[in-house]
Amino acid sequence: MSGSSRRDFLKTSALIGAGITGLSISSAKAAPKNILSENRMGVLVDTTVCIGCRQCEWACKEAHDLPAGNIASYENREVFYNMRRPSENALTVVNQYSAGKGSDLPVDVKVQCMHCDHPACVSACIVGALSKEENGSVIWDTDKCIGCRYCMVACPFQIPAFQYNKALDPKIMKCDFCFERTKEGKLPACVEICPVEALTYGPRTELISIAKDRIKRDPDRYIDHIYGEKEAGGTAWMYLGNQEFAKLDFPEPGDKPAVGVSESIQHGIFAYFVPPVSLYALLGGIMWINKHRKSSDEEEK
Amino acid sequence: MMKNILTLILFFALYVSLIAQQSPKKNYSKLNINCKTCHTCDVPTKTDPCLVTCPRDKMTTVYQSADKTPETIVLDQLVNSYGPVYFPHKAHAQMAEMGGGCESCHHHNTSGPILKCSSCHETSRKRGDIGIPDLKAAYHRLCIDCHREWSHNVSCNTCHVPKKDLKNVKDEKAQKKYYSKNYPIILEPSKIVFKTNYEKGNLVTFYHNEHNNKFGLTCTSCHKNESCATCHDLSKNSNTKEKTITVTKSNSDNHKKCSSCHQIENNCSMCHQDKVAEPFNHGKQTGWALNRFHINLSCAACHGEKLPYKKLDTKCISCHKNWNNETFKHSITGLQLNEIHSQLSCEDCHTNNNYSAKTTCNGCHDNYSFPKQVPGKIVGKLN
Ligand code: SF4
Ligand code: SF4
Ligand code: SF4
Repeated sequence: MSGSSRRDFLKTSALIGAGITGLSISSAKAAPKNILSENRMGVLVDTTVCIGCRQCEWACKEAHDLPAGNIASYENREVFYNMRRPSENALTVVNQYSAGKGSDLPVDVKVQCMHCDHPACVSACIVGALSKEENGSVIWDTDKCIGCRYCMVACPFQIPAFQYNKALDPKIMKCDFCFERTKEGKLPACVEICPVEALTYGPRTELISIAKDRIKRDPDRYIDHIYGEKEAGGTAWMYLGNQEFAKLDFPEPGDKPAVGVSESIQHGIFAYFVPPVSLYALLGGIMWINKHRKSSDEEEK
Repeated sequence: MMKNILTLILFFALYVSLIAQQSPKKNYSKLNINCKTCHTCDVPTKTDPCLVTCPRDKMTTVYQSADKTPETIVLDQLVNSYGPVYFPHKAHAQMAEMGGGCESCHHHNTSGPILKCSSCHETSRKRGDIGIPDLKAAYHRLCIDCHREWSHNVSCNTCHVPKKDLKNVKDEKAQKKYYSKNYPIILEPSKIVFKTNYEKGNLVTFYHNEHNNKFGLTCTSCHKNESCATCHDLSKNSNTKEKTITVTKSNSDNHKKCSSCHQIENNCSMCHQDKVAEPFNHGKQTGWALNRFHINLSCAACHGEKLPYKKLDTKCISCHKNWNNETFKHSITGLQLNEIHSQLSCEDCHTNNNYSAKTTCNGCHDNYSFPKQVPGKIVGKLN
């Protein structure tokens, strides 16, 4: 028993060591699940339909055991005075912007993880805690996550949030596309509650044709751009809008998968930045080996 | 290609649900609709019906007068945390006459019976055809976009009655009362001053209710294609009797409303002045003050419907053609004629039928004069 765990440890330490000395790291990383399924699901967010009721914020918290408070309190409009970002306590938030073309009404934009087709966070994660699943969700394993925050840096949409207020074992938090709910055949909590169905859940390919159809039918209502169809190599969550997305604080990551996804750059990162934990692991491993060598030496004596 | 197929599937779904609603015997080729409304090619076939993409505005054929529609429609198909919504249909239909019409809600309703929303919009969000919003979304989208335009909030209780209050809204009267507290009372403005950028007279004073009363107008005579917020906007303090509006819209948009009745070309000063105008005063503006009878009449009662109004002469007989000593009730002037005098013809006392001039008694009497001598009895204030 102790022999086998010792063997594993030696192997991991050796591989990390190899990474540090500039050899290929990709074999050292626990290979993450990174599936790009034909039938992956997505959500089309129509910002011209969203009314900014923030019920999705409430439902998301309820579904993820985060303190949600009274749903009536979400009618408060004052939160819109400040721009908010998803955080470890709110995996999705709605921000409000001034009116776009064809309407006097303000525009409300729900923000959460985009569930990228080529997720930079998955590639960046050194312990393989993040994975892209068959249904399109990008989720993470809390047990594996070591809180290194590489995903935070890698994400082109600044999504993963860090549990700063947790002293012990802080982890990364983000929208998980309601992986547990969809596994049971339920809709994501936010999609289910939305009173106006500003969020349409369905196969990504179908959503793109629905989006194109809406733009074609109502060219006065929409600008001709499906945000997320191509951005960062394509995302599961996509947006329709009546003004340039940059005006709505959407980043412009370009059409290529984000930096950090392509292996060569990743190698570069790992060649120069050694995650502190791996260093500890290496040192710890050496100490452990030394200690055991000593004790076995003693036994042998 | 893929898109075409999807469009076809979409239409097929819509078509099937329409058929399911209507009598299966209905033959669309016999209906009085242009084939091109729905088909793009000359010979649509079963395999290639060449359907157009959603001609929302062309397909709609719901033209029902608002007053003939149901007063209240109870929406209770999706009751869960809230009770039913008692939708005041007639009131909304009347308002819709000022913007959008029936089709603002009854979209895609082809000729035939008026379809229920649930004929096309499924009650479940988890469904096959995600191209059409589900019923909950369909209801909410129709209501909330207008409602938040004027209320600037998205409160559920504006329409939904919380379950605990359900017992208070059993009948239509109670429902009306319950809902009325959610809505601003719209007061008809009496005076609106428009600030314009016309140099030779930047102020246009519009006496709103005077126009309505005098010209016998209803809301829909002027308010067409307007957004609800024009009258209802809570933040713009629309509920004042007198208000000032700074005009930002284009010239032609502003003039349209006036020019449908008034001749406006080379007639700018009729409305544009450099100070706030007084209300219309018949005496000041035409030189002929209206007495207590005429003041209550609409302009059209004397001037006729045709605009611009013609100048009338001031002789009573020009209008009151059938008035004579028998038909005219003289006591209305404050003087009841005695039997002898009521036999005389009007111009015996009112020389030349001039009723504003002093009456004469000289025709029969020497040295008599009114009101020293009274040919009857004074019964009221003399005019
Ligand atoms: S948006 Fe960021 S966190 Fe979400 S999948 Fe993409 S890279 Fe990962
Ligand atoms: S999909 Fe689930 S986790 Fe993501 S924002 Fe919606 S409710 Fe929250
Ligand atoms: S629930 Fe729907 S309408 Fe409300 S804020 Fe969220 S996305 Fe927008």
